[in-house]
Amino acid sequence: MLENLSNTEQEILNVIKTVIDPEVEINIVDLGLIYNITHKETEKTIHVLATLSARGCPVGDTILNHIKVVVESNWSGYEVEVELTWEPQWTPEMITPEGKAVLNM
Amino acid sequence: MNAGLSTKNAPSPIVVLPHYAIGSIAFIIASVLLFFISGDIIKTNLNPQVLSVTHIFILGWITLIIFGALYQLIPVVMEVKLYSEILAHISLVTMVTGAAMLSYSFWNTYIVGTLLLQVGGSAILISVILFIVNVVMSAIKSKQKTIENTFILTAAIWLLFTVSIGIFITINFAKHYIDKSNFDLLKIHAQIGLIGWFMMLVIGVASTLMPMFFIAHKLNKTYLKLSYFLTNGGLILLMLSLYFFDNTYILFFTGLIILSGISFFIKYNYDAYKKRLRKKLDIGMKLSVLAFTLLFSTLVFGILSLTNFDFLSDFYTKIRIAYGVSLILGFFTSLILGQMYKTLPFIVWLQKYQDKVGKFKIPMPANLYSEKVANAHYYTFISAFVLLIVAIFTELQIIAQISAVLFIITSLLYSYNTFMIIFHKENLKPLK
Repeated sequence: MLENLSNTEQEILNVIKTVIDPEVEINIVDLGLIYNITHKETEKTIHVLATLSARGCPVGDTILNHIKVVVESNWSGYEVEVELTWEPQWTPEMITPEGKAVLNM
Repeated sequence: MNAGLSTKNAPSPIVVLPHYAIGSIAFIIASVLLFFISGDIIKTNLNPQVLSVTHIFILGWITLIIFGALYQLIPVVMEVKLYSEILAHISLVTMVTGAAMLSYSFWNTYIVGTLLLQVGGSAILISVILFIVNVVMSAIKSKQKTIENTFILTAAIWLLFTVSIGIFITINFAKHYIDKSNFDLLKIHAQIGLIGWFMMLVIGVASTLMPMFFIAHKLNKTYLKLSYFLTNGGLILLMLSLYFFDNTYILFFTGLIILSGISFFIKYNYDAYKKRLRKKLDIGMKLSVLAFTLLFSTLVFGILSLTNFDFLSDFYTKIRIAYGVSLILGFFTSLILGQMYKTLPFIVWLQKYQDKVGKFKIPMPANLYSEKVANAHYYTFISAFVLLIVAIFTELQIIAQISAVLFIITSLLYSYNTFMIIFHKENLKPLK
């Protein structure tokens, strides 16, 4: 996951890093919640595939809205879709080394 | 998109917030009254005033906040909308009215079938039935048939038993329908209420929330299933033996079954604690972890109260009171104090900032209350609880009074934070 990102998709990922999980208080990229980003220049669409750390997460909807808002505000004129998936289920192994350092893991 | 999100199913804050507000006021009132009955508690004099304060703690403080929290948590646990917000409003009004009438009647020592007592008891029964309808109907809509949901449903059924027996006791006191002492019936009423309703509900909710807040995965749910069958089986046997046999050995055996059931629940949560993502605990989780420590002391007092050792013969009444105090003012109170910080700030934060994320610089949920105040009542609470247990065994009233003052301080500090969160004013700053 999150492999072979184009330069633009990497930029989008960096913007999504401004989204903080309100419970864990680290950014959701380092938490491992972003599974994929697809940027299509010709169709003017951006698709973000994301998950949550738990089903029923009380702030899940807010996190997904937050992703949409920050991407839209930086790529105006694009249709941004944020899709929630539960496959594969998120596990702590998906946290990046930077995230593990913040969490003292 | 986005199936399985609880935010879309969340109830209106007006359903949940009054429970937290009134609950915290009930905590203050009960703590103040605790000061005046401290002498009765240490002399193990379970008079009507003690019953009054006990019911303010149980109905006004613990039950009310559990009701409110559950209306918020049903969408999280069951992934459905709450069945009816109107029923929740009516349930709140009838519970507050009923609890006030009941506690007032007890305080004025009118135990025997007064109108106020019967109307108050009936109002509580109505409140409980409406709550149960809401929980059961939500559960029926839910596709999540988990063991955690089964605990919550079973707790609702035990609650109905608890209140029905409570009302029957007040009627039987005057009419003598069955040839059984009210004290024996009271023991059944208390055990079903504490273990069947509160404990069962706490297991269901805590087993969902604690791993979620710890962000712990790959936990063994067999522990929860074992906990369910042992705790419920033990409680049914306990109820039957209290009514038909009242034999020490049978009681001790049933107590052991319940203890083993609760131990599996503790084991499940201990595993979540060990596998937790965030090593540093925030104040909400510190209080919740403390609650589990106090649950252990509750179990020790509970088991001791079912034994029949000669060398403890002078202490059994004290041990039984310590068991009740440890469960109500220790475990449940600590868990509620802690879980308030894990639920209420999020409810208000979502209401104020859900549509503002990414557009403005906004505070985090943890910024909605004073952490210093929360840390202060963490220590006043521990001191209050320890001193009350010491006072029960030493019979020193001054220690009980100091404990009550510390409970009052705890309740005031907790309420300060509760109202600070509820009345939080939107704080938006530009992003750059």
